[in-house]
Amino acid sequence: MAVGDLAFLIPVLPALAFVLTFFFGKKLPTGGAIIPIAAIATSFVISLLITLNLLANPEEVVSQSYSWFAMLNIGILVDPLAAVMLTMVTFVSLLIHIYSTGYMSHDKAPSRYFAETALFTASMLGLILSDNILQLFVCWELVGVCSYLLIGFWFEKPSAATAAKKAFLTTRIGDVMFLTGIIVLFSDLFKIFNGNVPDGVYILRFDEIFAHIPDLAAMNANILGMEVSHITLITLLFFGGAVGKSGQFPLHVWLPDAMEGPTTVSALIHAATMVTAGVYLVARTFPMFIAAPDSLMVVAYVGAFTALFAGTMGIVMNDLKRVLAYSTISQLGYMMLGLGVGAAVGSEAVGIALFHLINHAFFKALLFLCAGSVIHAVGTHDMRQLGGVAKVMPVTAVTMIVASLALTGIGIPGTSIGTSGFFSKDAIIESAYLMGETTGSWIPYILAIAAALLTSIYIFRLVFMTFYGKPRTDYGGHESPASMTIPLSILALLALVFGGLTSKIFNTFVSETFVNNFVNMNIHELATLGGYHLAEHAGEEPMLVLWLPLIMALAGLVITFLIYGLRIVNMDSLVSRNNPIYKLLYNRYYQNAIFTNFISVKVIYEGFAFAGRAVDRGFDWTVKWFSDLAIESGESLRQFQTGAVQNYATAVITGVSLLVILIKVVMEVLQ
Amino acid sequence: MMPILSMIVLIPLIFAALALFTKTKEQARVVALAGTVIVLLLTVYMYFNFDSTIADNQFEELAQWVPSLGITYHLGVDGIAMPLILLNAIVLPLLVLFTWNDDRKSPNKFYALILATEGAVIGVFTALDFFLFYVFWELTLIPLFFMVSIWGGPNKHKAAIKFFIYTHVASLVMLLGIFGLYFAAWDMTGTPSLDIPYLINQFQFIGSGLTKDMIFLALLFGFIVKIPSFPFHSWLPDAYTEAPTAGSVLFVMLKIGGYGLFKVMLPMLPFTASPNLMITIMAVLGSVSVLYGAFLALSQKDLKRMVAYSSVSHMGYVTLGAAGLVSLSVSGAMFQQFSHGLIMSIMFMSCGVINSTTGTRIINDLGGLAQKMPKLTVIMVLTFMASLGLPGLTGFIAEVSVLAGSFVNLPMYVIIALLAIVITAAYHLWALQRAMFGVYNAKLGTVTDINVFQTFSMGVIAILILYFGLHPTPVFDMMMTNSEHIVSLMATMGV
Repeated sequence: MAVGDLAFLIPVLPALAFVLTFFFGKKLPTGGAIIPIAAIATSFVISLLITLNLLANPEEVVSQSYSWFAMLNIGILVDPLAAVMLTMVTFVSLLIHIYSTGYMSHDKAPSRYFAETALFTASMLGLILSDNILQLFVCWELVGVCSYLLIGFWFEKPSAATAAKKAFLTTRIGDVMFLTGIIVLFSDLFKIFNGNVPDGVYILRFDEIFAHIPDLAAMNANILGMEVSHITLITLLFFGGAVGKSGQFPLHVWLPDAMEGPTTVSALIHAATMVTAGVYLVARTFPMFIAAPDSLMVVAYVGAFTALFAGTMGIVMNDLKRVLAYSTISQLGYMMLGLGVGAAVGSEAVGIALFHLINHAFFKALLFLCAGSVIHAVGTHDMRQLGGVAKVMPVTAVTMIVASLALTGIGIPGTSIGTSGFFSKDAIIESAYLMGETTGSWIPYILAIAAALLTSIYIFRLVFMTFYGKPRTDYGGHESPASMTIPLSILALLALVFGGLTSKIFNTFVSETFVNNFVNMNIHELATLGGYHLAEHAGEEPMLVLWLPLIMALAGLVITFLIYGLRIVNMDSLVSRNNPIYKLLYNRYYQNAIFTNFISVKVIYEGFAFAGRAVDRGFDWTVKWFSDLAIESGESLRQFQTGAVQNYATAVITGVSLLVILIKVVMEVLQ
Repeated sequence: MMPILSMIVLIPLIFAALALFTKTKEQARVVALAGTVIVLLLTVYMYFNFDSTIADNQFEELAQWVPSLGITYHLGVDGIAMPLILLNAIVLPLLVLFTWNDDRKSPNKFYALILATEGAVIGVFTALDFFLFYVFWELTLIPLFFMVSIWGGPNKHKAAIKFFIYTHVASLVMLLGIFGLYFAAWDMTGTPSLDIPYLINQFQFIGSGLTKDMIFLALLFGFIVKIPSFPFHSWLPDAYTEAPTAGSVLFVMLKIGGYGLFKVMLPMLPFTASPNLMITIMAVLGSVSVLYGAFLALSQKDLKRMVAYSSVSHMGYVTLGAAGLVSLSVSGAMFQQFSHGLIMSIMFMSCGVINSTTGTRIINDLGGLAQKMPKLTVIMVLTFMASLGLPGLTGFIAEVSVLAGSFVNLPMYVIIALLAIVITAAYHLWALQRAMFGVYNAKLGTVTDINVFQTFSMGVIAILILYFGLHPTPVFDMMMTNSEHIVSLMATMGV
């Protein structure tokens, strides 16, 4: 038996763990944490074995499909792309679960927590190994609802219940776009089959979809006077879903609020089980995007803009977790940019983006777990009240610094010495440069470089404010237990070396995703279909391009050291509510006021809904008017209302007979 | 072979009569449970002997009744009726259990009315003769009218009369349509017949296009009001809200409007003089209902009224999917009826429980109930998620089938319906957040969680929502068979 036959267990085991923990967890120690830990550990082992097997035998892609209903199926597909994601998600989720046994030890409902995180993980795993777009959407929505439950885990707190609702509704806007994309795709394929889908053909399976890309590209829709090819339309709608899930501008607003849940949940959301889903969706359907260069351009611009935009807010936040939340949004922007550069570098883009996704998962999980460790020990996440934490929590401090170095991408260009982020983020920025060269679109590159500086500033500001100097308040604190520090150390090791160790083989491996016996795509042909030619990756960038990201990172480090470390530069005049730019950033560009308070509450809730009520009363009045008319004319017949049943019966029979005669007459006339 | 269809129609009616003669609550509820459980067992037997690969009527019973007028006693079920009978047969015993410990005046009448409604509704689903069909159709009105006017809320009389008159007028218009069809066919062939399959088949031979369209519209009006669809929905919020919990659930079981759409309207549609106009009418009514119901639900303050409007929104998918005329959309619309019945049962049960334990249904006056009612909360969250279309639960299967299928022919109308999705999520989550989560409102006093009977009945329905959401084929296959049959008729007519 091949290890691939066990692939279905990868999501099934955590799903079973959910059921068991939900019903029996209360009776077990630590809320039955051992059940999901064992299940996810097993899933991890299976994922790892499949990945290693695929590395050795790239043709052994796992693919199984079963009929679901009508012409739709459920099934699993594990190719290189899915395999690396599965391995990362199970691994990070496993560490977070182990860490949670310490972190959630004082909570009153640990069994509900572990049940929900197990379901969260299961949904994400189901999403990753879907072999069709509808199942991917199903799991996508389950991921959403799990995040709703977990962000609102402390539901008795009104702010948590509100944040949960906001997260669900904001991502739902993206989900509707994604669903619309699926609906358009379905109807196009249905028409391509002329309405006769043969038995055994599953219309929304990825290989079926990809095989029809040329047909989809040939279909045109007229939207607001513009001729848009269906492939462009569908991919843009898919990307709309990714914008919601992966916190891209303008649907990123839910992510910073999502920290109302336990910090471990934030770690799960930000690293493993949720926000990466959008990036994965674009990567999974990349052959479609390649045939739609306009969509890829949109992906690149939105990604680059988000990277910078989130960075500007990250540098003024005073809440530990909020800084990290904006950091995630910014880094997801980089990943999207990495995919968008596919317009220049072809399927290599998937490898580049995925590489950053995996590296980011390690160091972002680490950052959140470190933050959690601090919060767990000192009881606050306001950085203004901290300072000097390194002395009380040395392990946490060291791992946090490692994570920050990985995030900023410290390393020596041209060598294989560097932190994880160095390899993946620089690859994205360099590809953006290449895109500028081939297509003339330099804006994404410029935004990405500027964002690199902001990244360095916000993360080192966090490090200095939290760990350096003297305590600003008397917070006490102690180093966290081993169940928490061991996962931190493991992640720190990976954040440090994973990039360097795998940078050579990773891209080759993942790029094989679209050339195997499940889908065999000629990416260059698809690009030609989209009307452009891919650049041959020359790697002949000028020295400055290679060094610039590092220079930005070091500049950020120096700036923050001067301000927050040595305190040579005084920022008080800048950091004040009188400074309009600071005020704008600190208030997060007033997005909450615009999106939540104005559009959602005022326009939709109060405006439309109450207009609807008025209209509804109108209908009621109309009906009442008709009935009043009937009753008035009936008043004269009142003497017949005797209340005796036989009188009514007589009346009914007479009435029906008259009706029959009437119809008879009408029929005669009509014929 | 035993006349199983007659049995599942008559047994509830006989038990209804028995229940009337009981003296106490204890006796009445046992009679009700026995009657509904027998129907359930017979229906399950029937389900397992049903051939879901053919679109024909099965378990047919045929006897002459009034030959001079062409009235026969003709019963049968196909893939359209079978799932709806199953729905009624499953939910009704659970409804009896749900009310097991309730105290109310004249329990004998209460349970008799529940049983009578079940008999009448199943009667509509099995009747293959328009005379029988109309008798059962009108018979559903009477128990529901009394249900609302005896055990209803503060405005029960107004709501009951509004419901009765509104839907009765619609029924009379439908009756006109039936007569039109009956006499037209009589004129053509010289023999009277009220047989439904026969008359539907004769419809195409009617000479005058105007006659055909008039007949079609009259029937359509009768069904549309019953569904109900925008703009004929205004009886629903009052009736659903004022009805006692059991009455609201019975209303939800009353899937006869949508049934008529599939059973009578769609096979006739391609033969009307202006099929495209009819499709447009249905598509507009369906898609606008979806969006309009969602906005109205969003603006409600009363939890039960919100659920009632959400019902208008959800039933819009039925009309839209029927108009979609693709096998997937039509099956999805049929599945929506089934799914909606399950989901709304729990929704109304939840409203009932909350109202009886806290004394209010105003969403803003509740708050933090999750802390005191954990069992109800779990079931409610699952059902609310199903209602807002979460995948893995029945609502999603129906909605995605309707939307994807209808988009092939009616893209613009599907987009209208898609606009409602976020609104739908919004009012569900808003209600959950305000009523169940957050800080417990101490003014509510002591509240108690659902009792063991309520947990059982709501839990079983919740499990079914999950089961059919993951594995819809046990009912979806037979719907697919029938909708493919209907759509193939269209194809031959080139609609």
